[in-house]
Amino acid sequence: MIGLSWLRAMLVVWRKELLDGVRDRRSLLSTLLYPLFGPLLSGLLFGFIANQQREAADVAIPIAGAEHAPELIEWLEVQGATVVDAPADPRAAVLAGEVPFVVAVPEQFGQRMAAGQPIEIQLIVDGSRNDNRAAVGHVETQLASYSRELASMRLLARGIDPMVMTPVEVRQVEVASEQQLATSLFSFVPLFVLLATFVGGMQMAIDTTAGERERGSLEPLLLNPVPRSAIVVGKWLATVAFALACVLLTLVCCVVVLEYTPVREFGVQLALGPMVLVSVVLATVPMALLASALQMLVASFARSFKEAQTYISLLMFVPMVPAMVSMMSGLGDSLAAAAIPVVGQQMLIEQAFGGEQPGPLGFVLAGGSAIVCALACVAVTAGLFRRETIVFGR
Amino acid sequence: MIRAEHLHRSFGPLVAVEDVSLDARDGQITGLLGPNGAGKTTTLRMLYGLLRPDRGRVTIDGIEVGSDPRAAQAKIGVLPDARGLYPRLTAREHIRYFGQLHGLRGDELERRSAELITRLDMQAIADRRTEGFSQGERMKVALARALVHQPNNVLLDEPTNGLDVMSTRAMRRLIRDLRSEGRCVLFSSHIMQEVSALCDTIVIVAQGRVVARGTSEELLAQAGCRNLEDAFVLLSGVASREELGGAPDLEARP
Repeated sequence: MIGLSWLRAMLVVWRKELLDGVRDRRSLLSTLLYPLFGPLLSGLLFGFIANQQREAADVAIPIAGAEHAPELIEWLEVQGATVVDAPADPRAAVLAGEVPFVVAVPEQFGQRMAAGQPIEIQLIVDGSRNDNRAAVGHVETQLASYSRELASMRLLARGIDPMVMTPVEVRQVEVASEQQLATSLFSFVPLFVLLATFVGGMQMAIDTTAGERERGSLEPLLLNPVPRSAIVVGKWLATVAFALACVLLTLVCCVVVLEYTPVREFGVQLALGPMVLVSVVLATVPMALLASALQMLVASFARSFKEAQTYISLLMFVPMVPAMVSMMSGLGDSLAAAAIPVVGQQMLIEQAFGGEQPGPLGFVLAGGSAIVCALACVAVTAGLFRRETIVFGR
Repeated sequence: MIRAEHLHRSFGPLVAVEDVSLDARDGQITGLLGPNGAGKTTTLRMLYGLLRPDRGRVTIDGIEVGSDPRAAQAKIGVLPDARGLYPRLTAREHIRYFGQLHGLRGDELERRSAELITRLDMQAIADRRTEGFSQGERMKVALARALVHQPNNVLLDEPTNGLDVMSTRAMRRLIRDLRSEGRCVLFSSHIMQEVSALCDTIVIVAQGRVVARGTSEELLAQAGCRNLEDAFVLLSGVASREELGGAPDLEARP
């Protein structure tokens, strides 16, 4: 027997598959693009929205008849707004889109104010223009709070608590608002990280199994005097390396998005300290081992590259199920749940991102069970590689 | 030295190989000749240990393939039916990969790779990725990686399939060289001329059975024909003597 230890044989296969994978544009793209697409794209999107909102606050307020209401102008300027004179024909200017809106102050402003009568201030807008909505909303809010402040002062002057004015306080919870969208999108981050373990190694898992057979290189490979288990483990660990690279890139992108774009302004609560990242990586390594092992097992059954792709895309639902359950009803924190692979990882990652340090027991339970399942999958795959129907195709 | 004794193999109801025995000696070229579907590839796969025979046994240099396949595989170099390459690896990387899997490393591995590259006249393509290689170039890579561990026994499954004239001649030269080095060469083919030009011993298989064996002279005598193609057609049972007799006398292609 030629002296090639199991370990060295495995490493030879591992190195070759890594080299092959790095040169494969398809593998690289799926590993590299996924982290970029998700967090980075949404980060940029929300950065853009946040900028629009900030710009809305910076829009100068054109006021017609400003000379009638010096108190209002002064108040607005204290709030940080810039007040400019309105164009000669406000309606035409708004209609033509020269200014987003015009605030028209009536001549009797001072007179009615003194009399304590309601003052009608016109806000001339063109409701068909979407791009002005943020600016109009902003000035509307400002005028409303001016009105509230006046009312409070009047009540106080009469010795009445201004609270009587708000027997019911309505606070809008706008589900479609950008904020809500941003926070709910970032609640997907744990799922995103878990999915990365599946996406990163996907092409590798297919290429080294169904792909290897389809291009007719499996038969020559298996003719080498090397245990099948060493070949399978080498291929598996190469797939894992890609999956982990994808996880790390995803985390880097999350950090970049949170640090360098204004999504934090939307109230995204996501802890991302070094300890958090270490915990997340610790939780995902067993997940990557399991994901890659599952994918190789499934791809080994497939008759062709395409068929393997179909099966493996379906496999992506595996990490989604516990994530969905968690988002809808929470996973709880029972030990039994923590010991279920994928569910356990989801819990650990959620805890870590939520800013609480998961205990060592969670890591041991979730990691241990995932590794046991992964090894079982690898053992079955190695068994498949000994089967003639799998080696020669059916 | 490859010895197969009474190999049987069926796939479901289909009997692919039935009672095939053969001896391929060192320093000889043995040809496995038969029409398509005769069971040549199945037989070879049992010889190199990727298919288990239902019955019978195979020994390579005295090592039983069934009980110690890896030790046997260390002693054979195979050009199998499937000879796919990795499109993103260079020719040299292919040779290196298989050499490493045979336990070679370092200078020894590099030296042998370089030798094979020179021997197979592939210096120009050695460091190119194999994507886009011609049939002949692909064949050279597949051969080089099969021979990197200098196996005593070489099994080639239809080695000239799909090759042009130049590549075919190079392949024949290589097969003869391997014999003169004292190795045991066994190859399968469905081309009569090729087998008769190269082989010391010819084994004709048809429908999974050995129907005749011997040198080309012995086969001619056995069939009572003047040329080998007739003998092959007759012995493999593709056509009867009457059918042959009715046809114009077939000349062997040059």
